[in-house]
Amino acid sequence: MMTRTLVSLFGLSLAISITLYWSLTAGAVDIPLQTVLNTLFDLDGEQQQFIVNRSRLPRSLIAIVTGGALALSGVIIQALLRNPLASPKIVGINSGAALAVLLATLLLPSLPPVWLPLIAGVGGVIAAGIVYLLAELRSVSAARLALVGIAVGMTADAGVDFLLVTADSYAVSAPLVWLTGSLWGRGWSHLATVWPQLVVLMLACLAMAHRLDLIRLGDTQAMGLGMNIRVERFALLGLATFLASISVSAVGVLGFVGLMAPHIARKLVGGRHVVVLPVAMLTGALLVLLADAAGRSLMPPIEVSAGILSAMFGAPFFIFLLLTTRAERTQ
Amino acid sequence: MSIQLDSITAGYDRFRLQNVTAQIPTGSLTALIGPNGCGKSTLLKTISRQLAPGKGRVHVDNEDISTLRTRAVAQRVSVLPQHPVVPPGITVERLVGYGRAPHQNLFGYQSRDDQQAVELALEMVSLTAMKSEAVSSLSGGQRQRAFLAMCIAQDTPFILLDEPTSFLDIRYQFEVLELMSTLQKAGKTVVAVLHDIAQAARFATHIVVMKDGRIEASGPPDQVVTPDLVKRVYGVQAHVYADPVSGTKVVSPEEKGMQDHPALASIN
Repeated sequence: MMTRTLVSLFGLSLAISITLYWSLTAGAVDIPLQTVLNTLFDLDGEQQQFIVNRSRLPRSLIAIVTGGALALSGVIIQALLRNPLASPKIVGINSGAALAVLLATLLLPSLPPVWLPLIAGVGGVIAAGIVYLLAELRSVSAARLALVGIAVGMTADAGVDFLLVTADSYAVSAPLVWLTGSLWGRGWSHLATVWPQLVVLMLACLAMAHRLDLIRLGDTQAMGLGMNIRVERFALLGLATFLASISVSAVGVLGFVGLMAPHIARKLVGGRHVVVLPVAMLTGALLVLLADAAGRSLMPPIEVSAGILSAMFGAPFFIFLLLTTRAERTQ
Repeated sequence: MSIQLDSITAGYDRFRLQNVTAQIPTGSLTALIGPNGCGKSTLLKTISRQLAPGKGRVHVDNEDISTLRTRAVAQRVSVLPQHPVVPPGITVERLVGYGRAPHQNLFGYQSRDDQQAVELALEMVSLTAMKSEAVSSLSGGQRQRAFLAMCIAQDTPFILLDEPTSFLDIRYQFEVLELMSTLQKAGKTVVAVLHDIAQAARFATHIVVMKDGRIEASGPPDQVVTPDLVKRVYGVQAHVYADPVSGTKVVSPEEKGMQDHPALASIN
């Protein structure tokens, strides 16, 4: 149904707008709407200006782009592996990024923190590359890819745990916050380093809708319908890897969004990727934005990581959807 | 104008097909029969280029398929795998529409022609009334017909079906077999892996019998299906007689004398 898609898209956009407003006003220092507006349009005093313009606005925008990117990455991975339990985490992206950041922090203590996002991104891409190569050694099947991905992820996770246990707690405290997925301390410079790539990748992703539909039918059918499955799988996996790795580099390990947003989207609008992709993107953006705003306002001045809260919000909402919607929705 | 296999050796870990040379006549309904694991599915996969042969050449309509693009192969040959994946949250109409992919651009834009092909295919399998249902909510027989409609919508001269009647009850088996006949009479070349020799003899115009990765016999059903062949290929002593309804060959294995089997002694 067209109307269902339009209602979902409109509803999600509205929810994002409302949450964005909340996100700008909420936090350790309450700033009323009037002041926010004045600030945005350059009319008001210094402290507010600093908080809204330098902190809350950029990090809210980062939340929106990375949330959308992680969700799209999740949709691709779930379609490729034909597995509803799959997420970007399953091809080792999160674990690879986490290990790279910890290693960099411990081995090169003098490294300026601005480098961490890049290192995280590289770690994620390397892990996914290893997974793909190992799976490719013999013909890639969906199940093999998932198993190799889990194994590589576990190896990296073991490395992370080892480093956390053996290092002294002061050295790892900053990476620890990042590991749980937090937007603390993100500003315009972080936004500037990620948004152009993410927007391009997200547009490319939306153009893949029809091919994702075909790949969802399984390798045999997709090939029988004229798809060059090896090339397409490689391209889609690359797209998903970069979307997730770049996002993880900016906001840390926000694993839950990539798993949850695709499911919520499918519950809302059915299985066609041409509608699942945009709805999942908005859902992911909303989840991360909401989690970040809530994390700041729950018990100020302490911030709760968006990664923790996105799971806290997302999981109950997902269970609610599972219990209240019909078995399956179609388009 | 046919499918021509020239000394094909193909398979996965061990080569299932051993130097197979065969021809599938255009316009035929060809049944591929043979014991489990004899290489029937491997042969179908080789013809549709799902699997590249280790040695040998496959020609479809006088074109070497190894030189064609995947999309060009998909415009000539459609395939129904043995266990098609049922995608979640997709309607019957949409699934059948995917069959149009080889004729569409990368974004799957549906033209008027595409829509007509889908409607026609749905009508042929009598699923028009259920086109807005989710594929996953259909019964086994309906599901199989939906996937068949997808092959029909693909509108290829050659249609390959891997065990299209397995797991269906007798009514749906005959529906699918009759549909295959209809397609053949409409000018398509249909190749199907079948297990029931009587059904193969009744509906096929051409039978290819395989054993251990080799072609054991091929030709018109009346000549191919004999007690000697059944003994040779399946190791079963059987009577072959004319079906009272269709007049075609039916195979009935003899009793093996199980009462003398040593295992039965312990039960009694």
